[in-house]
Amino acid sequence: MSSLLSGIINEARNAAGGVRDFATGLVSPTLRIGVTGLSRSGKTVFISALVHALLHGGKLPLFTALTRGRINRVYLEPQPDYDVPRFDYETHVEALTGDDRHWPQSTSRLSQLRLTIEYEASGLVARNLQGSKLHVDIIDYPGEWLLDLPLMNQSYTEWSAATLAASEREPRKSLAKDWLAHLKSHDPAAPADEAAVQKAAKLFTAYLASCRADDVSLSILPPGRFLMPGDLAGSPLLTFAPLAIDPEQKAADGSLHALMERRYDAYVSRVVEPFFYNHFARLDRQIVLVDVLSALNAGAEAVKDLKSALTDVLGCFRQGANSWASAVFGRRADRILFAATKADLLHHSSHDRLENVLALIVEDARKRAEFAGARIDVAAIAAVRATREATVKQGGETLDCIAGIPIKGEELAGETFDGKAEAAIFPGDLPDDPHAAIDGSLEGELKFVRFRPPLIPAQGAAAANATFPHIRLDRTLEFLVGDRLA
Amino acid sequence: MSHDPRKPKAFRLSQDEPEQAASRKEEPQETPRPRAKTKTASKARSPRALPAPEIEFDEDSGDQPLVPAVARDHTMQKRFKWGAILVSAALGLASMWAGLAATRLIEDLFARNEVLGWIGSGLLGLVLLAALAIIVREIFGLMRLKKLGTTQADAARAISADDARAAEATLSDLRAIYSGRADMRWGMAQLKDHTKAIMDPADRIRLAERDLMVPLDDEASRIIARTARRVSVITAVAPAALDIALVGAQNLTMLRELATLYGGRPGTLGTMKLARMVAGHLAVTGGLALSDSVISHLIGKGLIGRLSARFGEGAVNGIMTARIGLAAMDLCRPLPFLTQDRPGLSDFMREVVKFGDGAAAEDKPEK
Repeated sequence: MSSLLSGIINEARNAAGGVRDFATGLVSPTLRIGVTGLSRSGKTVFISALVHALLHGGKLPLFTALTRGRINRVYLEPQPDYDVPRFDYETHVEALTGDDRHWPQSTSRLSQLRLTIEYEASGLVARNLQGSKLHVDIIDYPGEWLLDLPLMNQSYTEWSAATLAASEREPRKSLAKDWLAHLKSHDPAAPADEAAVQKAAKLFTAYLASCRADDVSLSILPPGRFLMPGDLAGSPLLTFAPLAIDPEQKAADGSLHALMERRYDAYVSRVVEPFFYNHFARLDRQIVLVDVLSALNAGAEAVKDLKSALTDVLGCFRQGANSWASAVFGRRADRILFAATKADLLHHSSHDRLENVLALIVEDARKRAEFAGARIDVAAIAAVRATREATVKQGGETLDCIAGIPIKGEELAGETFDGKAEAAIFPGDLPDDPHAAIDGSLEGELKFVRFRPPLIPAQGAAAANATFPHIRLDRTLEFLVGDRLA
Repeated sequence: MSHDPRKPKAFRLSQDEPEQAASRKEEPQETPRPRAKTKTASKARSPRALPAPEIEFDEDSGDQPLVPAVARDHTMQKRFKWGAILVSAALGLASMWAGLAATRLIEDLFARNEVLGWIGSGLLGLVLLAALAIIVREIFGLMRLKKLGTTQADAARAISADDARAAEATLSDLRAIYSGRADMRWGMAQLKDHTKAIMDPADRIRLAERDLMVPLDDEASRIIARTARRVSVITAVAPAALDIALVGAQNLTMLRELATLYGGRPGTLGTMKLARMVAGHLAVTGGLALSDSVISHLIGKGLIGRLSARFGEGAVNGIMTARIGLAAMDLCRPLPFLTQDRPGLSDFMREVVKFGDGAAAEDKPEK
């Protein structure tokens, strides 16, 4: 009953937002781009690079509106929402271009950016009523939070069962040892004890954090705020953990079970739902950034985990073709680009294979979106290209390599890089058959080394026109925005 | 399919001058290598069953939309087989006769006076030289025309199969066709600018179309519109006996101009061949073109036809000319229409039915 009611409330919320969007869209058209990606998939770098390229007129041959000169001006609008922080574009660009250039720190809170594109509109309405302007709204957020979205459709009991079942399997089992031991020590029906709850939450959080390490690189780690609490750290909303409970059993009043369940429900309704309905329910375009290469580094388990995490998360979004009724019931994302990020970590001759692996990972999500009528594309991209390509001849064979400065501490074949010397890397051959990525036959055959950001002039006259090199960022832009600038 | 895994490796580059060291190893970026189609097994490997050294990948298209190559009529050549034999035999006889006659003439000249004989020989040499030059030029013209067709087929393949080799072949053809032309210098520079970027083969072709074809398409549309307008005026005012010849000449000129514009530069034979291809193309696509806003044509024709029978005929001829022009455009354009809209018959309707003051005035500045 209550789930039905909340469903109706949420739909009403959506519809109200939809009507508001429609009304404001008439005079100041806005394109909401949902940059979707789990943590460390490169959302912040993608947004920064995209904005940088648009502001500085980067080399974007496939972005037709720009190359045909239909774009007059691009600028950053003052932040429109009072209660959402602005995306710290300047700091991120500074990090990428400064003296000690490095990739931006991982994002710990939500932020938003509004970009305005003034273009030569051809439509009568666009020219006169809308002033030939298109606002592009992009938000950045910790990717961990995205993992919470599937929780909206799960009860505490279901979530507990799923989490426990997952922790019974390797590689999670050994990481969850401490938490599982503690779990056995208390009885769900016992009276609630705050200290025990605190301990359980702490151990559970530690288990989740250990699953993220580079060598395991698992993806399904809800609740996301446990890993990236934002300003909720320490609050009761984040103080709960799964319990080994019988699905048939009702929680007794005052029991540990009841307390945990209440907190879980509060977490979903106060943290997850507002996050989703305020920012993701009404997207126009969606780009799904997937860090395929890190998952491949970690092995088949990580790839499989990534696949099911993305399927779950993307199942929450409203995707598909829009009709006249969309104006009333809220718009859907009608174009979805699945992008394998960090494509600069391998030679371009392997990009086809990378795209095939990505297509396998997002297979289910893609089918669902296609069935709903959305336009789909799959691309290997690098928003900021940190490497150059090279060929190395060794022992009679020619290796297609990439050259750049590996990040300090990266290792390959027994060699540790110092973050200063340039190296040419052959990361191994991606398989012809993408299924090799999940059947475990690739273990140890691939190693993608991370590189430092490329050197572009940050000061002086050259800096004004300096843009980041990229791979297929123009195609991405054309797919996401191009048709709205016609 | 079995694959041949190669271990990840790192090659440290010189510490002192990372920039230079890398640029030495960097592969020449001007011509992006086609994607690896063959794999060679390395020597320093542990013994194991190796896959065949050459793997031919089938050109299975992904889920990219297929771009249809331009329809061509293949029935024409077969029908003319006997005719070709007849013509070539007759030509052979004629050339033998001409050779004999020329030899006799020279002999006669020598018999009469040696000086006359030498002059005659000189003239005959000039005749032969000029004939040879014309033949060579015609052959080159035909070859260029053919190249436009093969480039188009390559481009269609590159797009539909996302085939890197076909894309590379297309681009090098385009470079060969347009590199010497002053009006294409800007487009070629743009294209060259983009060769370094990493992009998909299909995108490369789309980019080439945008950079190179757009100005040509505009010019081609102008040529078609101008000719269509002129043909309708000629039909309306020229004496009845002459107008067929005049309209035919106008059409041939248009074909030649279009082919030259797109890089074909055909001679007389080339133009004839193109005319035949256009006729075949129209025969194949005729039904398609008929449905293209046929109603508006009928209405337009009816109105003008009611005003004057000659003007009505003029409009019909103009429309026909525009259609021939569009068919020629399809055939001569080295790339299929991908990112650009294919001009339709309706784009030229206004030009055709706009007679009188406008036609004469607008005609001049474009020439």
